[in-house]
Amino acid sequence: MPATRALSHLAAGLLIAFTLVALSALYWAVVGPNTILRRSDNPRLVEAEASIVRGQIVDRSGVLLAVSERDANRRFPRRVYPHPETSPVTGYASQRYGVGGAEAAYNAILRGDTLPKDIWGELTNTLLHQPQHGSDIRLTLDMGVQETLAGALAGQAGAAVVLAVPSGAVLGLASAPTFDANTLDADWERLRADPGRPFFNRALQGSYQPGGAVQTPLLAAGLLDGQPLETEIAGATMPVNTAGAALTCALRLPELALTLREAYGFACPEPFRQLALDLGPRSVQAAFDMFHFGQPPSLAGFEFQAVSGTDTLEITDDNLEEMALGQGDMVVTPLEMAVMAAAIVNDGNAPQPYLLVETRAPGAAHWEPVQQVRPTTPYATAATARQLQDLMRSAVARGAAINAARPGLDIGGHAALAFSGESTQAWFVGFATLPGLRGVAVAVVLENSRDPGLAADIGGQALAAAHRALTGGE
Amino acid sequence: MAVRGLSPIKSRADAQGSSMALLLLVLAGLFLAVNAVALMLVRPALGLRPLVYLSVWAVCAAAGHRWLEHRLPGRDPLLFPIGMFLSGWGLLVIGRLIPTFAERQALWLAVSAVALMLAAGFAHGVQWLRRYRYLILVFGLSVLAATILLGRNPSGMIGAPALWLGAGALFVQPAEALKILLVAFSASYLAEQYSVLSVEEVKSGRMFSPRVAGPVLLMWGLSVIILVWQRDLGTAGLFFIVFLLLVYIATGFLWILAGGALLGVMAVFAAYHLFTVVELRVDIWLNPWAEADGRAYQIVQSLQAFAAGGVFGQGIGQGSPAYVPVAHSDFIFAAVGEEWGLLGVIVVVVALAVLSLRGLRAALRFPPRSFRSLLAAGLSLLLAVQSLMIMGGVLKLLPLTGVTLPFFSYGGSSLLASFVALGLLIRLSAGED
Repeated sequence: MPATRALSHLAAGLLIAFTLVALSALYWAVVGPNTILRRSDNPRLVEAEASIVRGQIVDRSGVLLAVSERDANRRFPRRVYPHPETSPVTGYASQRYGVGGAEAAYNAILRGDTLPKDIWGELTNTLLHQPQHGSDIRLTLDMGVQETLAGALAGQAGAAVVLAVPSGAVLGLASAPTFDANTLDADWERLRADPGRPFFNRALQGSYQPGGAVQTPLLAAGLLDGQPLETEIAGATMPVNTAGAALTCALRLPELALTLREAYGFACPEPFRQLALDLGPRSVQAAFDMFHFGQPPSLAGFEFQAVSGTDTLEITDDNLEEMALGQGDMVVTPLEMAVMAAAIVNDGNAPQPYLLVETRAPGAAHWEPVQQVRPTTPYATAATARQLQDLMRSAVARGAAINAARPGLDIGGHAALAFSGESTQAWFVGFATLPGLRGVAVAVVLENSRDPGLAADIGGQALAAAHRALTGGE
Repeated sequence: MAVRGLSPIKSRADAQGSSMALLLLVLAGLFLAVNAVALMLVRPALGLRPLVYLSVWAVCAAAGHRWLEHRLPGRDPLLFPIGMFLSGWGLLVIGRLIPTFAERQALWLAVSAVALMLAAGFAHGVQWLRRYRYLILVFGLSVLAATILLGRNPSGMIGAPALWLGAGALFVQPAEALKILLVAFSASYLAEQYSVLSVEEVKSGRMFSPRVAGPVLLMWGLSVIILVWQRDLGTAGLFFIVFLLLVYIATGFLWILAGGALLGVMAVFAAYHLFTVVELRVDIWLNPWAEADGRAYQIVQSLQAFAAGGVFGQGIGQGSPAYVPVAHSDFIFAAVGEEWGLLGVIVVVVALAVLSLRGLRAALRFPPRSFRSLLAAGLSLLLAVQSLMIMGGVLKLLPLTGVTLPFFSYGGSSLLASFVALGLLIRLSAGED
């Protein structure tokens, strides 16, 4: 019966074919997860990424700065920033454009990658397709201080940093112009093309000539050298010409003789040029090294954003004048200047700035402090630091930094001008002492500004806000 | 022998078969009910829709079972439950992927169930297929010609294969009906012409006579026409393979298969160089990874769906099979792979294998080379080869051919054709005309 035989051959053939289909399904089901599923074009990876419920970011008193919201109409959680004025710190988390700021610095914590793996939990999450939940983080940031900085810098280009002393906690960090992380995806192209560079974090990355702000370490060197503070120097208010620009005092003053204390208060360049020439390159070099000029501090977690260490400044007879004027190759970051102010109010010991206070695992009731040892760095002796505090108080009381003064607060500071090419920057570096605490330190820089008074005013606002935040009232 | 006019007396074997059929249908119903409830829990937005699909299915299953019990107590008890099981599962997958399509599919399921009952229940249906074979052939070919001349694509896309005839909301794919008509014609032609073929004739070298080789060449030509004018690689391949296998059954000549395979390879080779669609299918079969974002997107997504499903699957409504373009139609097997995993895939493969083999077994109830034997074999092979082509295609075992997975895929014409074929098979499995 050939037909019957043919039928049984065919039946066997079909059976083999169906078995082959089952075997290739077995192959992809077993081998696939470790091969083709790992391909970057697997949309499931993007989906898994998008469905992660990132942890919240809150400020030091619990104000919500970033939260992943879920509702029934959306497949994936939406990252919301209730206070977009914190964007320079909180940054952004976008499916399309990745992460930035604290969202990038603490990405692993916020995503939940650092959580201990629990096998049973993993299994149920996988079976029920529960999205990954990340831990909440609490930052040192204070919404009151941050709002003050953001409001004061609105419409400006510049940056400001406020540090708590002695801890180094970053109470406020603003950079302007900035972006709104809530509308990042829609604004991305415009922001990228914006000549104001809103993504550029000026407080951490901006390299500015310090100009007159360099007078503080010079003065420290002068104090060590025993230079007289109260002897009048003729022609102290004369402008100094360097590299085509005429450097002046922070305020326009008639030709006057000033003491070194007064010259510091008005940030006049000429007496400091003379001081540097008196001290010589080695002493100036030693002063700058003591204050770690040219070695910008990094904010823990934001290291990748820090300015790559500028070559250590070597001061010679040739560049001594330029360096003493804070011009030329000498650049500093606003954070660096805030740390310097913190060192002065902290009796010469510079704290390390930090942002992350504690974390809270998803569903947990308690916060876990982030274990960190943050040794201070000596910048000056306690005696020198106290003398500098006193000189800075004079500058606020009777100098260019007078706008920083706030009734009832003990504030010291130094307002100065710097030139970079065609444009001018206004600096304010200062501190306020607090009852029971060392104090707070601030650095403000305004681009394209010839108004150190405005920088001092912003500094005063920031110090007052920080005072309110840390003393809890008034 | 059942006496006409009296209700058939049930034998013991029939009674066993009947309770087995009922048991299988109840098990299928339970499986579908569990999945429908799970789907409603996972996708609250679907509301009670899964229960509506389930109810339509249950009515079809109950009505079909009672009708077959009444008309064909001696039928193969596995065929109807397996067909219902697969179509119910398919309905749920479609309802999970594109809810609006599932409503239409549920309607088509009801129509198909009625068609199955008619095909299985009425005497003489099978004989008509034999008696009017030339009429059927002419009708089938004119429908094919009409599709070539007037065919459209319901999606309205320019350049999409125009395999549909129709207007307004109703479109049918004539190739689906043509498949059954051509199998019926071939079975009756071969039964008539080859039954007298003897071993001596073959040995005397007359095997290349037009009577033997002619129909093979004719069928090959027809397949080539479909390929050239319709760019329908799947249907062309399916026609040709099923016909070759039928000729093999009718003759027992292995050289028919070898020669046919040679003709098929020649056609594919030529088509590879002539038609971009064939070139594309072969290229992405050989190496899809290089063009994962482009031409091979669909097959890469399909394989990733199987991989994502793993062994146990993601669970209904919990995977992402919608990343596979047309997952509800040709690629529905990938959706099963992602959400039911390897286990679900094996269940589908086993169900289709059992269906095909039980269909082939029905062919043994009749004298070899008889029309009914060849018809039963042809219909079984139609379902089996079509299933293997698309399952092998979405698993990259074979080049992709755009055919549906019988009973499972979205598509009214496809479902109707599968149910009519199943109805005829059920009738033949009972040993009836």
